[in-house]
Amino acid sequence: MARSKNDVLQGTIDLLVLRSLDVRGALHGYAITQHIQRGSADLLRVEEGSLYPALHRMEQAGWVRGRWGTTEKNRQARFYAITAAGRRQLEQEQESWGRLTDGVNRVLRFA
Amino acid sequence: MSWLHRLANTLRPRSLARDLDREVAFHLSERADDLAAGGMSPDQAALEARRRFGNRTVLTERTHDRDVMVWLESVVADVRYAGRTLVAHPGFTAVAVLSLALGLGANTAIFSLADAVILRSLPVRDPAQLMMVEPRDRDHPGPSPRADVDFTNPIWEQIRDHTHVFTGVFAYNSHTFDLSNGGLVRHTNGAIVSGAFFDVLGVRSVAGRLLATGDDVRGCGGVAVVSGGFASRELGGAAAAIGRTLTLDGHPMEIVGVSDPRFFGIEVGRKADVFIPLCTEDLLQGPGTLDQRSNWYLQIVGRAAPGLTLDAVSARLAAAGPAIMEATLPQRWSHTAKSQYLTRSFGVRPAASGFSGLRQEYDKPLWLLMAAVALVLIIACVNIANLLLARGAARQREIAIRVSLGAGRARVVRQLLTECVLLALGGAMLGVLFARWADLLIVAWISTRRQPAALDLSLDWRVLGFTVGAALVTAVLFGLVPAWRATRVDAHALLKSGGRGLAGGRRHRMSRPLVAAQLALSLALVTSAGLLLTTFRNLASVDPGFRRDGIVLVEADLSRATPDTGRLPAMARGVLDGLRAIPGVRSVGQSAFTAMSGSGWNDFVLVPGFTAHDAQDSLSYFNEVGEDYFSTMGTPLLAGRTFTPADGAGSDAVVIVTRTMARHFFGVDNPLGRTFRTPIGDTASPPYRIIGVVGDSKYRSLDEATPAIVYVPLGAKAGLPGWSTWSYEVRTDLPVTTIVPAVRDAVGRVSPAIEIDVHALSAQVDATLARPRLLATLSSFFGALALVLAVVGLYGTLAYDVTRRRNEIGIRMALGAAWKDVVRLVVGDAGRVVAAGVLIGAALSLAATRFVASLLYGIAPQDVRTLVGATGVLACTALIATMLPAWRAARTDPTEALRDE
Repeated sequence: MARSKNDVLQGTIDLLVLRSLDVRGALHGYAITQHIQRGSADLLRVEEGSLYPALHRMEQAGWVRGRWGTTEKNRQARFYAITAAGRRQLEQEQESWGRLTDGVNRVLRFA
Repeated sequence: MSWLHRLANTLRPRSLARDLDREVAFHLSERADDLAAGGMSPDQAALEARRRFGNRTVLTERTHDRDVMVWLESVVADVRYAGRTLVAHPGFTAVAVLSLALGLGANTAIFSLADAVILRSLPVRDPAQLMMVEPRDRDHPGPSPRADVDFTNPIWEQIRDHTHVFTGVFAYNSHTFDLSNGGLVRHTNGAIVSGAFFDVLGVRSVAGRLLATGDDVRGCGGVAVVSGGFASRELGGAAAAIGRTLTLDGHPMEIVGVSDPRFFGIEVGRKADVFIPLCTEDLLQGPGTLDQRSNWYLQIVGRAAPGLTLDAVSARLAAAGPAIMEATLPQRWSHTAKSQYLTRSFGVRPAASGFSGLRQEYDKPLWLLMAAVALVLIIACVNIANLLLARGAARQREIAIRVSLGAGRARVVRQLLTECVLLALGGAMLGVLFARWADLLIVAWISTRRQPAALDLSLDWRVLGFTVGAALVTAVLFGLVPAWRATRVDAHALLKSGGRGLAGGRRHRMSRPLVAAQLALSLALVTSAGLLLTTFRNLASVDPGFRRDGIVLVEADLSRATPDTGRLPAMARGVLDGLRAIPGVRSVGQSAFTAMSGSGWNDFVLVPGFTAHDAQDSLSYFNEVGEDYFSTMGTPLLAGRTFTPADGAGSDAVVIVTRTMARHFFGVDNPLGRTFRTPIGDTASPPYRIIGVVGDSKYRSLDEATPAIVYVPLGAKAGLPGWSTWSYEVRTDLPVTTIVPAVRDAVGRVSPAIEIDVHALSAQVDATLARPRLLATLSSFFGALALVLAVVGLYGTLAYDVTRRRNEIGIRMALGAAWKDVVRLVVGDAGRVVAAGVLIGAALSLAATRFVASLLYGIAPQDVRTLVGATGVLACTALIATMLPAWRAARTDPTEALRDE
């Protein structure tokens, strides 16, 4: 999948979402926000308005697959699961995130 | 694959929208639950959940912007909104749509003409493979600039039988058939074609069979194929036509088939309704016609084998050239003419769009008109752009509100452009209607009695595509800049200021150069129109050397009245006497040709002591005329005498010449008694002795240089084959329609088999003015349109400025400015714009008029008076457009204007 340049920030949300789904299996949108928030010890908070566009975009790209299901509170929710293509994307994103943070850290150390 | 998803989305757009709604609803309720669990009241929790989630509309848009269907939905919404806005401003909408309709309509009208006459391919199978044989020079075998592509039948037979360049080849001769059997003629356009014609073109029949090579054999009796249109118009349908017999130039021929109604032959602008095989030439024109080696009348068209280029085909034909010319050499020609004949060879030119006399005549005028209407459209565009700029300024509040509510700039630009597209398409629809009507009018103008222009102007995808394309380009042209400017607002500042003229200054700077450009373009158009008008007036007032009014032409074909050519002169005399006896007829002349009839006779003149600069220089026109010809036509006798009935019969060949003939060949005004000869092969004719000199006349057209003409008496040339058609000039005060029955009776008494055609000489002369008249009329119309649009643009700008500067004017007046000063302010403003427009326009005109130079008569393209006149017209109309705003400005009440502030 070709990516456009202005997706850097979106790229972060992709990474976080894909990672969450990879670790926790199928999740609905609200659970994804909760997972990210808790997983980052409240350091990161997903902007809720941009989560769903991101999920739909990723679904169109074929990285995640959405299915309607029922929660324990017996509410209808759409559960998202990571696909094989999504895993490949996750690997790439992790790698480039690693490079980015590595680069930023080096600059900060030597600046 | 991503687009596959999108495609899938378009097929279930509603479920997608519902999905998102349900997902968000779930999210909100989960969040509210968590908040409530933290101790909030349920209502507060729901509110807080919604607040945290943010703008749902933006979310929907962002999620769905990738969805084609949703995009379409937003377009529909845009269109509806634009429609409402336009309806809410009926004045603006009407002005915009109307001026676009005029601009686009004019473009559509001219384009569909140009398409039909110049661009479109013939409605036959694989037209791109068709090539037309053209004469070339053996020693310089480049493409031929010569318009004529006629060949003799012997050459055609050689090409047909001895070259193997084409997969199929045919010969074509446009012919006007007479369907009558004696009495008043009924003309029908048709063609005489070789047997393979329909086969090579791949035309299908709708009934019966089409001509085949078996129909085209020497000594044939002739069968006919008629067009579908002709069959249903004249014969009660295709099926009923089969087996019927048509009388074609007096020869009965059976109809064996009906061709596809869309097929019109290969000459664009001239619809052929009847097709007969080439072998009938021997029947129609007399035995031996097909073997004549100096009778040039056939066009040859071939279908090249796929993959062969024009050059390849030309090269192969050129290789065959010498043998063909050798085999078809006219035996009786002079030695020099023969050796010149042998230097000719062949090539091909593309024939996908057929050939066309109309195209040759109107090719340049149509492109010129195309340029003119494009300019008119541009001027109309600029007007609307100006209107939109003004409106954009007025709509800034609206736009600011939309921007502050979160609309992206591109989104607002799109919305504004939608309005423009809607305007343009509205204009296009109206314009197409206008174009249909205009095209009919134009075709009527370029049709002449002898040659009605038959063009397929049905609305096809090309024309509609052109119009819609032009409309869209127009919309972007006039819409984009205003939309871009209108959205360049600081919403915050604007809303605070109460929406009072922030962008006025910008618009101001923008609109003046635009108006100046409009004026410049319209000046160029008006100047060109002035030149073409003067050309038409010059041509219309040319003295043709005869009185054109009050003369009815009776053209009588005697060929079928008697098989005995020896009786023809007596019969022609009988017709003359019959016409003379009609009450109300003052005098009757008789001649072989009439001026501007399209046919004529010329020959070389050999005068001892006269050396010609070139071959053309020693050519003179000839005509054979009766004794009352000059007095009837009103051509003055300058010296000597006119003919008497004895002149033609005597052994002494006497002639009358025009003054130009006398001066050109003899260098004197009065060469009475002098003689000249004409060449016959390598020898010369007996001498012609000059017995009279008459005033000059035009022969072929009004715009030709005064020609040399030799008149021979009746009988001098009689007996030549085909010399059985006479024109009678009938001077009478009666109108044509009144005299027709009497003429028919008088001629019928001589022989009912004589065919006659009756029309006014003035109509025949007028027909030669069709092109200049069309150009003068249309260019004046477009020039006036451009001028009005440009001046309306000027008015609009000034009026807007006066409104905008009301405060300033009020202050000036409060400080003691008189109304004269205010008028001067406005007029001075306008003057600068007009001056700029005139300066640029004058330069533009001088450049533009070069393109019309070849269409002018009696006026130079850089004619200063025309330019000055056009400038004067422009200045006057501009002044009128200025007076109203100036007057309004002068009436400004300072107290009121200032109270407003």
